[in-house]
Amino acid sequence: MTPASSGARIAGAQVKGLNCPSCGGALTVRGFEHTVSVVCPQCLCILDAKDPNLQILQKFKDKTRVTLLIPLGSRGIWQGTVYEVIGYQQRTTGEGAETYSWSEYLLFNPYKGFRYFTEYNGHWNDVRTLRALPKPAFGIGAKQRLQYAGATFTHFSTAQAATTYVLGEFPWQVRRGEKVAAKDYIAPPKILSSESTTAETTWSLGEYASGEEIWKAFKLQGVAPKPSGVYLNQPSPLVQKSKDLWRLGRTFLLIAFALLLAGFVIAPNEKVFSDSYHFTSGAGAEASFVTPVFTFKGRATNVEIATRTDLNNNWAYFNYALINDDTGQTYDFGREVSYYSGRDSDGAWSEGSSGDSVTIPDIPSGRYYLRVEPEVAPGVSRLDYSITVHRGVPVQSWFWLVSLLLLAPPLYMTFRRFSFERQRWQDSDYAVSSSSGDDD
Amino acid sequence: MRNPLYLLFGVSLLALAGMKTYSGTPLFASKVNEAKVVPRTVRDNPGAYRSIYGVYPHYVGGK
Repeated sequence: MTPASSGARIAGAQVKGLNCPSCGGALTVRGFEHTVSVVCPQCLCILDAKDPNLQILQKFKDKTRVTLLIPLGSRGIWQGTVYEVIGYQQRTTGEGAETYSWSEYLLFNPYKGFRYFTEYNGHWNDVRTLRALPKPAFGIGAKQRLQYAGATFTHFSTAQAATTYVLGEFPWQVRRGEKVAAKDYIAPPKILSSESTTAETTWSLGEYASGEEIWKAFKLQGVAPKPSGVYLNQPSPLVQKSKDLWRLGRTFLLIAFALLLAGFVIAPNEKVFSDSYHFTSGAGAEASFVTPVFTFKGRATNVEIATRTDLNNNWAYFNYALINDDTGQTYDFGREVSYYSGRDSDGAWSEGSSGDSVTIPDIPSGRYYLRVEPEVAPGVSRLDYSITVHRGVPVQSWFWLVSLLLLAPPLYMTFRRFSFERQRWQDSDYAVSSSSGDDD
Repeated sequence: MRNPLYLLFGVSLLALAGMKTYSGTPLFASKVNEAKVVPRTVRDNPGAYRSIYGVYPHYVGGK
């Protein structure tokens, strides 16, 4: 996906006339002495621009034309320099139905030289040839890595690319059907590419560019084609988003943890009542009773009522009513306690618990007592149990819920980020097949 | 501010958690019936009080 080998570059153009020797059509040469090959825009013959007679290098019967997104002769200011589009070539890789083609636009400035715009499915790259060679780099995994200009590039794919269409002029002897072995290494948004022939290897460095910027720079009509899919060196828009979310998420979690600790510090957690009882079943006996009055001081907060029993393979039920002795305000609730255990062919088992606790929120201060009405299973003659009342017990459950909810957005963004990367590498030599494979 | 929605979401959650932690409200509060009119005679005659949960279906399980 890089410019063709420049190995065939030779001395500058020495054209006598500017007419195609094949069809007589007028030729325009914009690259001055740099032009080595020129393509007749009428008959698409490739001509030798160094030859004073414009020798025909290649001639085609097929006159199929490719529509160029950037017309030849377009001028624009790119990175502060005026460039003119002087050549176009289409490169194709793959075989049969699995082929795909991309476009390469050759840009020229008499003082700055050449650069290229490559385009595939609306994805653009600004490419320049390298003057220095990249160095091998070490990394984990099977992918080869290269180091260049402080960045580490990871091997993406190796393929044979053929030139399938040309138009305009070129600083090398261009040929349709010319094949090179192309290797791509990526460090988004940059891409390092090599093109090798039997004679030499050419390296180029590309950087992902937006179609809108190119359209604006070259004042092209219409709008740039919308990019489709994920391109190999397309910068992931989710990397920064993910990092930002995690940074904020960490801060939120720290605050949530501080709230949890503060909850333990400020919670009164005061035992206000505790007593032990035993229940004896008997005909005509009144099971219900009330406790002595106890006092809740301070702000309204929760109250925890814990019941501990000596139940084993049985159940008990407690009708509770927490009653404000002054106002008559009553909080009525029932708690079941059951505990079963034993041993069977699977080993020992147990179910339930012989104790229970319930937390009632927002109980105002005041003088309270408990009305308790225990029930036990038929046949149980005695049950020993204790009741303990705590006021202002620390609550942890909100911390866990809030932490989970706070983690959800960064986790989702990380998932999307990895999905983006998985999609990127689907077109590489290291794609993970999602299907089990067909026999045919 | 790159993530205003997440910032709002997080601050709201933390504010909610802070308020609930301060008030001591558990996440899953038990079902409690509040009654306003309970005569003071309940203390003298606890059996006269009829609990809302007196007909609760008791568990008779075990493996």
